[in-house]
Amino acid sequence: MSVTDHHSKKKPFTIRKGLSLLGFLAPAVVVVAVFTYYPLLRGSQMAFRQWNLFDLRNTPWVGFSNFATLLSNPTFYTVLKNSVIWVVGSIVPQLLIGFGLALLLRRRFRFRGIYQALVFFPWAVSGFLIGILFRWMFNGEFGVINDLLRKTGLIETNIAWLATPKTAMFAVIVANVWYGVTFFAIMILAALQSVPEELLEAGAIDGAGKVRTLFQIVIPFIRTTLLLTVLLRVIWVFNFPEIIYGMTGGGPAQQTHIVTSWMINFTQQGDYGVASALGLIVVAVLIIFTSFYLMALKERDAR
Amino acid sequence: MKRRQFILAAASLTAATTLPGCSSGSSSSGGGGDVTLQMVESLTNPTRSEVLKKLLAEFESANPGIKVQLVSPPTEQADQKIQQMLQAGSGADVLEVRDLTVGPFSNNGWLYDMTADVEKWDGFANLTPQAQKYSKHTDGKTYFIPYGFYGLSLFYRTDLIKEAGFSAPPTNWDELLTQASKIQDPSKNRYGYAFRGGKNGNGNVVACIEAYVGDTIDRENAFKTKDGKSIFVAPEAQQAVDTYFQLFTKASPPSSVAWGYPEMVEGFNNGSTAFLLQDPEVIATINASKSITKDQWNTAPLLTGPSGKASQPVATAGWGVAKSSKNTEAAVKLVEFLSGDASTTFAKENSLVPILKTAGADEFYKTGPWASYVTMTEQPDTYLTVVQPRGVAWWTEWSTKADNDVQQVLINKMSTAELLKSWDEFWVKKWNG
Repeated sequence: MSVTDHHSKKKPFTIRKGLSLLGFLAPAVVVVAVFTYYPLLRGSQMAFRQWNLFDLRNTPWVGFSNFATLLSNPTFYTVLKNSVIWVVGSIVPQLLIGFGLALLLRRRFRFRGIYQALVFFPWAVSGFLIGILFRWMFNGEFGVINDLLRKTGLIETNIAWLATPKTAMFAVIVANVWYGVTFFAIMILAALQSVPEELLEAGAIDGAGKVRTLFQIVIPFIRTTLLLTVLLRVIWVFNFPEIIYGMTGGGPAQQTHIVTSWMINFTQQGDYGVASALGLIVVAVLIIFTSFYLMALKERDAR
Repeated sequence: MKRRQFILAAASLTAATTLPGCSSGSSSSGGGGDVTLQMVESLTNPTRSEVLKKLLAEFESANPGIKVQLVSPPTEQADQKIQQMLQAGSGADVLEVRDLTVGPFSNNGWLYDMTADVEKWDGFANLTPQAQKYSKHTDGKTYFIPYGFYGLSLFYRTDLIKEAGFSAPPTNWDELLTQASKIQDPSKNRYGYAFRGGKNGNGNVVACIEAYVGDTIDRENAFKTKDGKSIFVAPEAQQAVDTYFQLFTKASPPSSVAWGYPEMVEGFNNGSTAFLLQDPEVIATINASKSITKDQWNTAPLLTGPSGKASQPVATAGWGVAKSSKNTEAAVKLVEFLSGDASTTFAKENSLVPILKTAGADEFYKTGPWASYVTMTEQPDTYLTVVQPRGVAWWTEWSTKADNDVQQVLINKMSTAELLKSWDEFWVKKWNG
């Protein structure tokens, strides 16, 4: 088959060809449209309507009144503040402990496989279940945490962890740190294993100590993975109400609600309009955050 | 040609996978006049489902040609699941309707009106007045027939009150405060009252207020007094909440700010708390306790206010029929069966106040922890049964708000007077639309 032959066989772009191309694309387009974008749009329009499960036969358009309801509620600002505390307070320790674990797990030792599996296990447990377990552990009277603290002599009287806003927030963050460390450990361990041996050897020959190797060779090498993992986790943790819902239900007095656990409250009241408005606010916040984060990332890469 | 076939196949596959609305989930199966009913329960638990299955088997053998398939979604998602089924108009013939869901479900036109069927049904006369009353919705129609009632009684530790020098359990809220305060000793991990500060914590506050306004309460709308005002502005209400919140400061575990149902029951169950205000289903739980024996505890009737009266805020659920059901006749038959003798078995096995008049004579309900429920039904002028507006559209909104306010008081961010004022404002605003 010569080259000219091939060219002569190439048909011009016809409607028929266009249609068949569309036919092949259709399954993907339709699936995404029907299962992702249709529900998304349908959910979004609820935000601009009075949409209460109590009366679905009457769902008039109400403009921005659902948003106004939210913005005029003082809890909204508590919830925003809590969301930031929740994300930062959870992710920083998760990252540090996860990194440490990954470094330890990189070494070879007996039963490493089993040990790794055990470390990663929490990631497989449902967040709601973890919330309920930690709710009992942090119980002021019957909880294991007060019991341990008393036995080790760190406290003399029980702390009513979930009874005051500050200690309750601390408790839910502890639970979340415990849960999320694993994911960082998995991701960072994978990244660490991609650091070439030669690079480390070269560093050693040039006389770099352990600390210097870590900060000047290893971390720069896995930087992209680290930053993207953090980005992913920020989005996930922001959208992760299960532990809070299971542990405190947002209490005491709504002081431990984050945006998404507060949203569950509205859906439980049947008010899908307000819940949907809150959902749109979350999407907007996350899009803005992600754009800035990625821009900052690019800028640093360009330097 | 081949390509066209392929495109056609791809297109039809796409349509099949992306148009779930096209498949119809009809619940009737044609063959030989046989009918299969789908029955969906809401307050599911494994033991309860077993009891139901046994009763359904009895129904099937008594009614050849009708099969019943029981669907038991996990409790937390059950009402949402039922709602989806009703909205889609398929999947449910008979369903569990709760006092909390009957409002929205009937309002959206999803429930079959059984009024005419009930009029023809002999069994209706056998129901207790309470059950008859609750089988009529506020619009006068019958959307469900209760299978039993939940109602509060005071669980108490016989040994602990004796040790503290009391000869009998408290009968009113003041006595409860006195006894619970005396028993409280945190250094021994012993507490007076299993306070409910967490989810649904507002319920007991309201029960206390309703006892204090016992002389003037509107029994058809227990959030109002007879003069049409809300119970929260009555002068007795302030007295009630002050007594009630003292129970927290003087006689309860400090962490009970966050206590919900599981913690309260566990607090009593593990022997550390002397008093617990709860529904009868807890009787079965405490009977199985490994920490306290049967002679260490009992129940007493609900606590009265200074008027000498208590208001029993009844909660209930029952069986109803979906409007979209294609087998209404068989479905109604099943509801009637479950509301007959079967209901006593169901109520006994699930620790519920029964719906049949005859059940009161049953030895089971006359003795032990159940006796206080009989006492309460025998003295209707002391223990008023009242109807709370649980079917209104804003009930969950109320519940969330009220729970939040209770916790605000507990963490000293709100005074009891402010709490009452805001509760009054909430209801007056809702009532005025």
